[in-house]
Amino acid sequence: MRGDDAAGLEAVRLWQRKHARTAGRTDVRAAIVEEPGLELLDLLDGVDAAILVDAVCSGAAAGTLHQIDLNELSDFREGPASAHSWGVVEVLRLGGALHLQSAQRAIRLLGIEAEQMEIGAGLSDPVAGALPAACNAIENEVTALLQG
Amino acid sequence: MKTIEVPAMARVEGEGGLYIGLQSGEAVEIRLDIYEPPRFFEGFLRGRFLQEVPDITARICGICPVAYQMSSALALENALGVSVSAEVRALRRLMYCGEYIESHALHMYMLQAPDLFGKESAFELAEMEPETVKKALRLKKIGNELLKAIGGRSVHPVNVCVGGFYSWPDGTVLKAMLPELTWGLEAAMQAVKWSTTLHYPKLEINYEFVALHEEKEYGLMGSEVWSSRGRKLAIRDYEKTYIEEHVRHSNALHSHTVDGGTYLVGPLARLNLNHDQLAPIAKQALKEAGIKLPLKNPYKSFIARAVELVQFFKEAIDIVQAYAPAGPAHMELDLKAGEGCGASEAPRGTLYHRYQIDDHGLIQSAKIVPPTAQNLPRIEADLFAMAPALVVMPEAAATRQAEDLVRAYDPCISCATHFLKLKMEERDSSCK
Repeated sequence: MRGDDAAGLEAVRLWQRKHARTAGRTDVRAAIVEEPGLELLDLLDGVDAAILVDAVCSGAAAGTLHQIDLNELSDFREGPASAHSWGVVEVLRLGGALHLQSAQRAIRLLGIEAEQMEIGAGLSDPVAGALPAACNAIENEVTALLQG
Repeated sequence: MKTIEVPAMARVEGEGGLYIGLQSGEAVEIRLDIYEPPRFFEGFLRGRFLQEVPDITARICGICPVAYQMSSALALENALGVSVSAEVRALRRLMYCGEYIESHALHMYMLQAPDLFGKESAFELAEMEPETVKKALRLKKIGNELLKAIGGRSVHPVNVCVGGFYSWPDGTVLKAMLPELTWGLEAAMQAVKWSTTLHYPKLEINYEFVALHEEKEYGLMGSEVWSSRGRKLAIRDYEKTYIEEHVRHSNALHSHTVDGGTYLVGPLARLNLNHDQLAPIAKQALKEAGIKLPLKNPYKSFIARAVELVQFFKEAIDIVQAYAPAGPAHMELDLKAGEGCGASEAPRGTLYHRYQIDDHGLIQSAKIVPPTAQNLPRIEADLFAMAPALVVMPEAAATRQAEDLVRAYDPCISCATHFLKLKMEERDSSCK
């Protein structure tokens, strides 16, 4: 992995361990995907709502948690200008341009502010320290969606 | 001096910039500045066990991992004197079909098509031609699903090993893909016709095309390297004729022929050299679309990719229909010291590997020559050829046309920067 780029994966894995009852429900599916790119649109197909958990770069302090709706994404820098590794912003924008139903779902984003994305590096201390809060945020989001 | 500068190219994989310096109507300097950081794969492969190599080298690229897995497996099998079964060879071709489908669909529709339609991005193209982009997504998904069915996942698949595969994929899953593969074949046939209706900038170059060649199949993992200048080499002689060198402005090595010339690998080279080996339906697509070979316009690699989509959808259907694996999924390996080389055709062109191993199967040295690195001097040469036309254009148009040319090559810059020669020199204390 590349440093804090693993933040989303690690947060979801922690949530699956700490909140196994919620994570194990038949109406809840967790997909850990390293580089979904355009596949994100397929992953969202057929679901009623989704929470995307990923590392983000917005200039905030490393480890900051951002819980936002899709329409607030303009605050975040887009990823590299190549469809070889499109990020969430670009893919959902494409889905919107195509009027795909998968891009119209209720989508919440949980972003964990990254400090570094060095090849071969592990998580930075601030991001590792943010994982328990991220785990709890995931549980709260999922619970709210299930109750909604 | 007029300059055309694109500090960071869009819609190419990896990070690189373009610089063209023009003076008195002539290009005086052209550089593809590859500043994607070097990645040192050849270095850190040393000491690894040979079975780790396919999985490690797959990480060189997220779009063409299969190419790295196949080239590395072929090279290491060559070192050990191992021949795989016909079933393994067929499954390897099927896996390659998946990679070609997803890579070509992505490049054609999301990366190059916006240029051909005069759009800035795939988003604009999606707004203008939503059904075209939806088709592209469906095509790419088929390729990804095929990779997932065989390799366990589409990005950096995990089922390839030296000697074959760790396990046979589930035939039920593969055969369930036949309806989508059939749809994809028809979509690819239409893509060939559509590709001939698009407007391509005028540029014709007498390239030396280079590609692997097989007598009975469209060249993917052939034993010979052919060139349009008449060279026909065994793979073991590749490095004697196609030579890498370091250039100052690039973190990727550049390649030249032994006589100092540039050459072109990729879909144009494959189609021009190997069209006799195309499946009948792909030949039919060529004929019905009125395509005359050889294609010498780099922008028309789009057409070549469309024809290859037909080829690989057809092969995928045939292999899946016949799939009935028998025997072990991989050969047992008797480890011994030695050296081996192997090559396969990545979607972007010939990918060559060479390894030395010790008698424990540990890598002693590695050499990886990716297709994009081989094409870099050719891209710069194409830009020199285009320079007289660029000089008389408004700067924005000239910049766009130069960028479009680079994108037509579908460069994979992350692949190209896998290696850098590093020299460390100790200076005395009087030096500043």
